[in-house]
Amino acid sequence: MKSVCHAGLAALMVVSHVVPTTAAEEPNRGAEIYKQQCASCHGGKGEGVADAYANPLLGDRSIGELARYIEKTMPEGEPEKCVGDDAKAVAAYIHEAFYSPTAQARNQPARVELSRLTVRQYRQSLTDLVESFRWSNRVKEEHGLKGEYWKDRKTRKEDRVQERRDPVISFQYGEESSVPGQIEAKEYFTRWTGSLIAPVTGEYEFVVRSENAVGLWLNDMWGKAVIDATVKSGDEKEFKTSMFLMGGRAYGLRLEHFKSREKTGSIELLWKPPHQQLEVIPERCLSPEHFAEQFVVTTTFPPDDRSVGYERGTAISKAWEEAIISASLEASVYIDEHLNELAKTKSDAGDRVQKLQEFCATFAERAFRRPLTDEERQVIVTKQFETAKHPDAAVQRSVLLSLQSPYFLYRELSGDNSPYNVASRLSYSLWDSIPDRELFEAARKDQLKTPEQIRNQAERMSRDPRAQAKLREFLHQWLKLDQLQDISKDSEAFPDFTADLVSDLRTSLYLFIDDVLQSESSDFRQLLLSDALFLNGRLAKFYGADVPADAGFQKVSFEPQSRAGVLSHPFLLAGLAYHSTSSPIHRGVFISRHILGRSLRTPPVAVAPLAPDLHPDLTTRERVIVQTSPEMCQSCHSLVNPLGFGLEHFDAVGRFRDQEKGKSIDAKGTYITRSGQEVPFNGVRELAEFLAKDGETHAAFVEQLFQFLVKQPIRAYGDTTRDELTQHFVENGFNIRRLQADIAAKASWVPAIEKTAANVSP
Amino acid sequence: MSRFASRREFLRDLGLSAAALPFVLNLPSLAFANQGQRKQRLVVLFSPNGVIPKNFWPDEEGPLAAFKPILAPLEPYRDRTLVLNGVCDKIQGDGDNHMRGIGCLLTGTELFPGNIQGGSHTPAGWASGLSIDQEIKNFLQATPESRTRFGSLEFGVMVPDRADTWTRMSYAGPNKPIAPVDDPYQMFGKLYGRLRDQATLRSVLDDLQGDLNKVKTLVSAADRQLLEEHATFVREMETELQSAGDLTLNHPVPELDPGIKEENDNMPTISRMQVELLVNSFANDFARVATYQITNSVGQAKMRWIGIDEGHHELSHEPDSNETAVDKLTRINTWYCEQLAYLVKRLAETPEPGGQGSLLDNTTVVWTNELGQGNSHTLNNIPFVMVGNGLNFEMGRSLKYNKVPHNRLLLSLAHAFGHRLERFGNPDHCGDGPLDKLTA
Repeated sequence: MKSVCHAGLAALMVVSHVVPTTAAEEPNRGAEIYKQQCASCHGGKGEGVADAYANPLLGDRSIGELARYIEKTMPEGEPEKCVGDDAKAVAAYIHEAFYSPTAQARNQPARVELSRLTVRQYRQSLTDLVESFRWSNRVKEEHGLKGEYWKDRKTRKEDRVQERRDPVISFQYGEESSVPGQIEAKEYFTRWTGSLIAPVTGEYEFVVRSENAVGLWLNDMWGKAVIDATVKSGDEKEFKTSMFLMGGRAYGLRLEHFKSREKTGSIELLWKPPHQQLEVIPERCLSPEHFAEQFVVTTTFPPDDRSVGYERGTAISKAWEEAIISASLEASVYIDEHLNELAKTKSDAGDRVQKLQEFCATFAERAFRRPLTDEERQVIVTKQFETAKHPDAAVQRSVLLSLQSPYFLYRELSGDNSPYNVASRLSYSLWDSIPDRELFEAARKDQLKTPEQIRNQAERMSRDPRAQAKLREFLHQWLKLDQLQDISKDSEAFPDFTADLVSDLRTSLYLFIDDVLQSESSDFRQLLLSDALFLNGRLAKFYGADVPADAGFQKVSFEPQSRAGVLSHPFLLAGLAYHSTSSPIHRGVFISRHILGRSLRTPPVAVAPLAPDLHPDLTTRERVIVQTSPEMCQSCHSLVNPLGFGLEHFDAVGRFRDQEKGKSIDAKGTYITRSGQEVPFNGVRELAEFLAKDGETHAAFVEQLFQFLVKQPIRAYGDTTRDELTQHFVENGFNIRRLQADIAAKASWVPAIEKTAANVSP
Repeated sequence: MSRFASRREFLRDLGLSAAALPFVLNLPSLAFANQGQRKQRLVVLFSPNGVIPKNFWPDEEGPLAAFKPILAPLEPYRDRTLVLNGVCDKIQGDGDNHMRGIGCLLTGTELFPGNIQGGSHTPAGWASGLSIDQEIKNFLQATPESRTRFGSLEFGVMVPDRADTWTRMSYAGPNKPIAPVDDPYQMFGKLYGRLRDQATLRSVLDDLQGDLNKVKTLVSAADRQLLEEHATFVREMETELQSAGDLTLNHPVPELDPGIKEENDNMPTISRMQVELLVNSFANDFARVATYQITNSVGQAKMRWIGIDEGHHELSHEPDSNETAVDKLTRINTWYCEQLAYLVKRLAETPEPGGQGSLLDNTTVVWTNELGQGNSHTLNNIPFVMVGNGLNFEMGRSLKYNKVPHNRLLLSLAHAFGHRLERFGNPDHCGDGPLDKLTA
């Protein structure tokens, strides 16, 4: 973990010194030379000239190689005309403008690309595919677990003394019993059942603490225990296990506690969510509802490409292929182990083979997101049952075939707008998974034709927990929460800023995001404007709010001038800061890129930040101004710094301050919009109010959300798509959930794909 | 009934986590080709509830002249049998004798205090140390020359589906009991699942290639490249699978009768199946150490197939004066001995791959029990019958010791593998080191 975090910080430091796209002078000179000496044969954009040199200028030589080549050979017959710096300049221009693979990619018109499922999509699809053969359930309003209290382990009906809902599992019975007065302290048994809701995707550690006998079942709640200490042995009191869970899903849970010989009784159920500290599993993450086991594939996949800002599946590798094989084998073994249950048959049923064949056909159909052709049915079902030695082996082959088929693994194989393609686009945009039964039936009945039909489906689907989980995941990425993993501060300056406190801060931000998302209006502007923070006792003490020390999380309003939504959330402010000082540059880059959607280039030279102790009399703001004063820095930092200065009221741990080094905080800044308008602001509230009503912010949010949901460039859906969606977003009161449905509906209909275009590469 | 072990379990058995594992299928071979040294092997076979001493123990110390009825099935292997009398389980502490009997049998150390309440004594938990089979397995796995795919395999027959002190004999460490696999299909999956997966995978790759070719025509030229890359990977996979090959196992994969349910009356069949798998796994050098636990401490097998309707444990409480019970218990124990004899026979019939002689020439089976005698619950004179020549003991004899602690025998087992431990389990019982008289 450590190294990842450092890498994250290093990346932050690099991007914080930026040059503008147009500042490099070399290409201009190169362009001029190209125009004069080369274009007559190679064409104005290197596309070639029929009678002179017809082949387009493209390849993968480096600029240096290209320059040497030009110096020796170009222009043809007169290589002495372009040498030295001229050759270098023209090489640099050609490379950048159209020659290099990156330039080609840039110059290609945006299009909907064939994509494989991303890792997240693959995992979710497999889980939902298996689950589609089982019963399903939903988390309801009520949280916590169902507790049943017995006198002893035999769990006889007449010995069950109480049933109740327990918000959290943290009981210190001491020498008392679990239900004093009704159960004797000598011996008692309790069983809690329900489910666990994973807020985010990742590896969770679970800890059960008890001096008595305990057992914990997770996911497969009536199967094998993940913690089995039902035999009390020795003096172990803490039992651990860990598990990979997908965010937004509920996993069946059973916990049993048995006190017999031991003098005292107690039990605690804790977890350590990804990037967080150990805590008693909170009430909001528990539900008394039961769930069927979910198949969770354990294969490790190579990470998806995220170079364009969102995960996408436009490249494959051998490692990916191996992971796919390993994962599909894993799934086929799991299905084999649960075959009778999934295929709804019995080992000795007369029609078992028929049932298994139906299972295979349905499995393939759901995996391919469309009905099978006769030919496919023949290969995937009939042939396997004819050639395999045993029907069960035929199922395994059939499942493997389905799960490795391009029809399962790829999306947009045929770019048409058939109802099944529309359905599949909807479900992957909203859920990262296969269509559910209702959507599939709508496609089968050709009820995904009109915009209203599509819109209605999209709205229905956006109420599913998976859609909410995907939105949440987007917002976490929007706020860089995936990169801010290990925030620690100068322990002398901030002794109370502990790892536990940071973990609480992350929870606080999660809660804030969920609160906005799940509110009736789901208003994007609230993310920027809210004056509230979610605080528990520990955070309240640190950030100066009036909440009892032992209180759980609650929404606390602040003076509007001092807090404004995510911009002033201490987790972000602390993450976008140095060890002991704030960092207007990090904060400014974050606002420029993530909120305003501005593109910034990496800095021209690597610069180490000026050490604060070398300039003991300068404030952070003053120091940053000195640091970025050179001309080459200014073209970007004139954008970045003033945005960051607006947050100077917040120190390295996100606490509000009026002064630094005895001087009053200057939180004034200016933003120059893309259209050249100057917008002055003073402090976080004014900055937030500007951003919340600014069109750039809205469009940037729409574009980022679109690409996160759809995994394709928004420009591929037409030049006006972004603006239309943005306009709807504004008209709908900035409702994020409606925007999600809007985007999914929009992207379910793909503009005609030119099959022969874009085929210039050799 | 699951026919195959889960993939996760399978990866664990390989000693690999899924994370560390780029791809399991392209490993060249299932077995390890370390044919240089002599392979020594050990099987510990367990049956419960003590024996009928007068029908079990040979009268005399010295050369084994004749067997009492219970040991009669071993007659063909009399010169390869060694019977040890006077070895006692002296471990005290928590737990009743059945619990300590099985829990301390291979661990030689006390049980932790706990919440499992037996018929008498204080309740107890798991054993507080690892068992000798695991100790030897760890020793063998530590050297490349003796390392095998699994190291050890834990077989069972009709072990009740509950984890408690009475059902666990083998321990990977303190509080770490190992559940024996008593479902032959599950064991089959563990041993040969990968072969089957490979075969299945190979059988679908052709069809897959066909699919990829077909979809290539659906997409634009720019997108086609991705699918061509994919097709190349699939082709490479095919080649790799082919060259990994028709894996040459030393011994063919056993054929199991399908659909044998895990129930009391199928015990004889399940026992045979497990013996087949055990012998196979040795022949293919998947492991050098095995435990084979028939039922459990306090086991209640009802041996209707030999005309006994009562549960074994129940019968074992009958006094010596109940002649019918004594007769039945003798027959029950004889049946257990027959399982031993069948295992020994199969080992003797199977040639040592890449070596001389048979598997039995390099394997010693130790048959033991949690009690000396059922109705007295004594932990003295625990039955220890060894068959086979894996440990270089001098066979064909009956030895009588004067109440020596069984820890010393456990030490002897380790020493026979060249693992010269000074103590194992409770050191107080290891005083005089490995047992004398075992080797010539």
